[in-house]
Amino acid sequence: MNQRDRNVRPAESLLVVGKDVPRTDAIPKVTGAAQYVADLHMPGMLHAAVLRSPHPHARILDIDTTAAAALPGVKAVITGADTARKKWGCFRPDLYPLAIDKVRYVGDEVAAVAARDPETARAAVDLIKVDYEILPAVLSMDAAIEAGAPLVHDDTEGNIAHHFSFERGDVDGGFKASAVIVEGTWQSARQWHTSLETIGCVAQWTADRVSLWCNTQTPFLARGRYAIALGLPESKVRVVQTEVGGGFGGKSGDDNASVICALLAKKSGKPVKLIHTREEEFLASHPRMPMRYRVRLGFSRDGHIKAKEIKMLADNGAYTGKSQAILGAATVRHDALYKYPCARADSTLVYTNLVPTGAFRGFGNPSADWAVEQCWDLAAEKLGMDVVDLLRLNAVEPGDVSPHNHKITSCELKQCIDLSAHMIGWKKKRALRTPNRGLGIGCSVHVNGRRSFGDWDGSAAIVRINDDGRATIITGEGEIGQGTLTVLRQIAAEELGLPYEDVDITRPDTDVQPYALGALASRVTYVAGNAVQRAAAAALKQLLEAASAQFKLPPDELTVINGEVGPRRGRETDFKPVAAVVRAHIYQPNGQPIIGVGNFDNPSEFPDHSRYGNESGAYNFAAQTAEVEVDRATGRVTVLEIACAVDCGTVIHPAAAEGQVTGAVTQGLGLAVTEYFDWHNGVPTDPNLKDYPLPSAAMMPRIHVAFADSYEPSGPYGAKGLGEIGLDAVPAAIANAIADAVGVRITELPITAEKIYRALHPELFVNEDKSAAATPKGSVWTRLMAGKPSGARPPQAEFIFAKSVDEVVAALAAGDAAIVAGGMSHAVRRERTGFAQAKRLIAVARVPELKELSLDARGVLRANAAVSLQALYDDLSIRKNWQALDEALAAVGIVRLRRMITIGGSLGPLIGGFDLPVALLALNCRATVAGPGGRRVATLPELFEKRITKVEMVIGIEVDPLPAHTGSSFFKYMARNVLEIPTVNTAASVTVDADGICQHARVVVGSVSWKPVILEPRELIGKTFDDALVRRSVQAVRTLAQPMADVRGSVAYKREMAVEFATRALLTAWQRARQS
Amino acid sequence: MQINFTLNGDPVEIRLKNGDRLLVDVLREDLQLTGTKHGCGIGACGTCTVIVDSLPVASCLQLAALVDGCDVRTIEGLAGSASLHVVQQAFINQAAMQCGICTPGHVMAACALLEKTPAPTDAQIRTSVESVYCRCTGYVRIEAAYREAVALANPARP
Repeated sequence: MNQRDRNVRPAESLLVVGKDVPRTDAIPKVTGAAQYVADLHMPGMLHAAVLRSPHPHARILDIDTTAAAALPGVKAVITGADTARKKWGCFRPDLYPLAIDKVRYVGDEVAAVAARDPETARAAVDLIKVDYEILPAVLSMDAAIEAGAPLVHDDTEGNIAHHFSFERGDVDGGFKASAVIVEGTWQSARQWHTSLETIGCVAQWTADRVSLWCNTQTPFLARGRYAIALGLPESKVRVVQTEVGGGFGGKSGDDNASVICALLAKKSGKPVKLIHTREEEFLASHPRMPMRYRVRLGFSRDGHIKAKEIKMLADNGAYTGKSQAILGAATVRHDALYKYPCARADSTLVYTNLVPTGAFRGFGNPSADWAVEQCWDLAAEKLGMDVVDLLRLNAVEPGDVSPHNHKITSCELKQCIDLSAHMIGWKKKRALRTPNRGLGIGCSVHVNGRRSFGDWDGSAAIVRINDDGRATIITGEGEIGQGTLTVLRQIAAEELGLPYEDVDITRPDTDVQPYALGALASRVTYVAGNAVQRAAAAALKQLLEAASAQFKLPPDELTVINGEVGPRRGRETDFKPVAAVVRAHIYQPNGQPIIGVGNFDNPSEFPDHSRYGNESGAYNFAAQTAEVEVDRATGRVTVLEIACAVDCGTVIHPAAAEGQVTGAVTQGLGLAVTEYFDWHNGVPTDPNLKDYPLPSAAMMPRIHVAFADSYEPSGPYGAKGLGEIGLDAVPAAIANAIADAVGVRITELPITAEKIYRALHPELFVNEDKSAAATPKGSVWTRLMAGKPSGARPPQAEFIFAKSVDEVVAALAAGDAAIVAGGMSHAVRRERTGFAQAKRLIAVARVPELKELSLDARGVLRANAAVSLQALYDDLSIRKNWQALDEALAAVGIVRLRRMITIGGSLGPLIGGFDLPVALLALNCRATVAGPGGRRVATLPELFEKRITKVEMVIGIEVDPLPAHTGSSFFKYMARNVLEIPTVNTAASVTVDADGICQHARVVVGSVSWKPVILEPRELIGKTFDDALVRRSVQAVRTLAQPMADVRGSVAYKREMAVEFATRALLTAWQRARQS
Repeated sequence: MQINFTLNGDPVEIRLKNGDRLLVDVLREDLQLTGTKHGCGIGACGTCTVIVDSLPVASCLQLAALVDGCDVRTIEGLAGSASLHVVQQAFINQAAMQCGICTPGHVMAACALLEKTPAPTDAQIRTSVESVYCRCTGYVRIEAAYREAVALANPARP
């Protein structure tokens, strides 16, 4: 059978391909049985911890590991001296397994420990003393290319890690012939993969061979690199892929974790487990590479593209990994999207003393699309065309060849554009023009495998038909969640004529399977799918030849249907089970197993230094539209809908394919609007999942997905890849929609509310005082400066269940004790600071008095300290009587956290950002405090002024009923609309007379100072409210607020938001007062 | 200190190495029940969600000492020897997982909601899904799995 015969089968005749069969990995994953690397345990296994550089750039003068090695339970301590001192890396070897002589970013690995448990290992790391000579650091791309800039690597002049340029076709002529030229500069940003499973490894040596169980996406490529780093022949290293808890490019073997783990296992003679903490994942994995693009496009009057020119600068960070390939993709790939007649580019990759950047789903294309797809949007505006029509006019078609020799085979880009526009209602909505709403579009193109790692982009597979009639696929391509195991089984089952359930598949082990490149470049369905299809065809051929002797018919007159072999034109009774045929074939003199081998090498070209060459045998395409709404008063953007149409050829598993697209869209959304945090001196100050929020279900727009009717002749059953394509154009589509909505063009990722607000109201920032620089406040910063990067656990803490308030007070008086109510603050503090806490923990959950919650006859609410916020929220009297309280409770975190957080835990000092106290301060509320001298009543402002001592505790609060004709309100403004500390939170209460005239007004503004700001504006008394009056009356908050510039906004922006939300709170409270 | 609690229906007795030991560590390290995952350590991601006294709890924030006397359920306690829980079946039917690291957390959050609220509104479903991050799926199929579980549990309901 030739390739064409196998492929061209009408979709309706396919029995397994195109069906939503149960995922292979579903049962292990829903039952918790799936084994991820952190779940592995071996007898005698030790646990590793790594000492990382606290400095962006420093020379190591001395490392003293004596104290660490002497700590009981420590079995091995290693430094650069214990390594082969060999640099390794994907294309440009520049990374040592452990630092030699110099550290080059905050997070660079300096030393490592293996100990009997993780706590001991972390404690030992804290005992390692390193003497550093701090060197001037390169902390930006611009600094890297300044004349005389410090060198990140002494052997790399000018910090230029890679550079290439090209000119294809007559670019100057193209611009000369252009009627319309558009240009601009765009910058993309770091984005962390943030797989919910961090990078990890378990290493074990057997004589002179090492086995690494790790969560890598690319077992064979990782093996090759780790062998170099360890100074071993490749076949002395065995990589076994565990279940992979998310990869997205971040687990493609460019980091040191597995190498260090192997070295520790060697030195200790024991199996060692090394798992990145969440913090380490931010410090030392390889996030998306920031790039700055200068783009220039030329068009004819009727909108045909005439010329393209880009100049690009990219931030490599301290080590290269795959960055130079990413630079290539980000420079050329987009030229296969539209009918560019010519293109010129100049791209430079520079070293900085920042976290090394690397592969992340999209591989440079999201950065390219961020710039170029916005430039196309500008062009449409200038040409006076609807951008959908402009893109459609220029979209590539089958048979086109890009300036870099990308040969377009199957291509339904125009269909994708039409589908995505239709799904979002483009024509109708653009005609209606709802104020502050807008639509945007972006397109993208991706490879299906890419010839990068030598002149082979292939996969080999084996299919064995067993004597029980089942088949086994033996492949080194692995599952990282994208559905490999399922899709490859579908392809083999379809080819073999077996039921899907009768096909099994192995998991990658480099000792066992044939060579395969792994999960990267959207290649597995296309490249590995082809290899498996060929292996299955070869096995089927052997099976039919075996059956030929048994049926006495030529093989081509036999077929396999649903697990049975028989004549093509036979009756049902003529068929016999595959098992019977295989058994008869094997169990005879000189019997042979039925084993088919399939090999597929991508029909592509290895690009030259200037990136000329057809990278992939086929290309997949997508178009995305987005609808947004912008709040002009804050700049906050809400993404309402995203519609993504993808050309991935035949869809093999519709549910998995849809999941790939919705997941990719969501990561694109995160890149655009939520995923960023504070940096200081080359280090993120709070590298955790609260300060780096992922899109949660609550902020998800409606996502529409459609697949173009498409067929790729060189793909298995016509299929192409689709792992990355859904992400690339999302940020650009959102930016284009914002421009459509409010006329503001955001050119630098991430898209923040403040950037939009500043563009909408530039006059407010004319005299901005920018001197208030961000002060690092993050826990990691403090800890790194103390030389404690991984955070040792506190010593033995005693746990006491108190039975009464008196017992709690007595225990506090004894000293060195802390109250545990919900337990949350203790746990968070431990995780985030790692510093020793109190020696005695006093649980108050079993003190009956502290659980009391009541409403008395006068309408006074009493809620005691151990009552959870959720319990208070669930009390319906709150909703009726104190709306500010109700709204504040609803605004705290998520329901799971509200059940843990207690009233007592929300009222302590130094927590000015919390929601509950802000609402309570707007109401009449008192707290009861107990201490050695007995009980007393305190006001909330007193609590905030720390007029409560270490030996006192809050017993509970009392809230008075609101006077007649009083309304209250609470607002929480989170610029990213995700779980985080607010930019500002406000509460107000307003009392009016029978005519609606204000008698009393109070507004509280939180999060802009160490304690909430309280205002009782006199100019509101005796007035009815309007926006201008109220806004004028709260201007004092500008001077009273002392906000810190951070990820949630600059000082100036926070002041504006304090005024805005104080106004909103007062107006809402006033309206409620009038209605009450 | 020693604590006693019920774990997936069986009584357990644990000696805590330290008073501030967390439930997730007791489950994963002391009891080798690794179906509960450790994702962020600060209660943000919810992959460590277990059910304590009928409520979903982030076990990475839960001091183990405080579950003394409680009823704790983990992903390992859901399926019978021969059958899956309807929520697990619903996640399979809807292909509601990709890498699977957050799946136990989502399944436990869904169980906790549906046991209390057998016919949740879309808003209640979203509030529950919101409490557990997923980096792979975009939540579309996870929300569909909740609805599927409701349908599987009440076959008569239209």
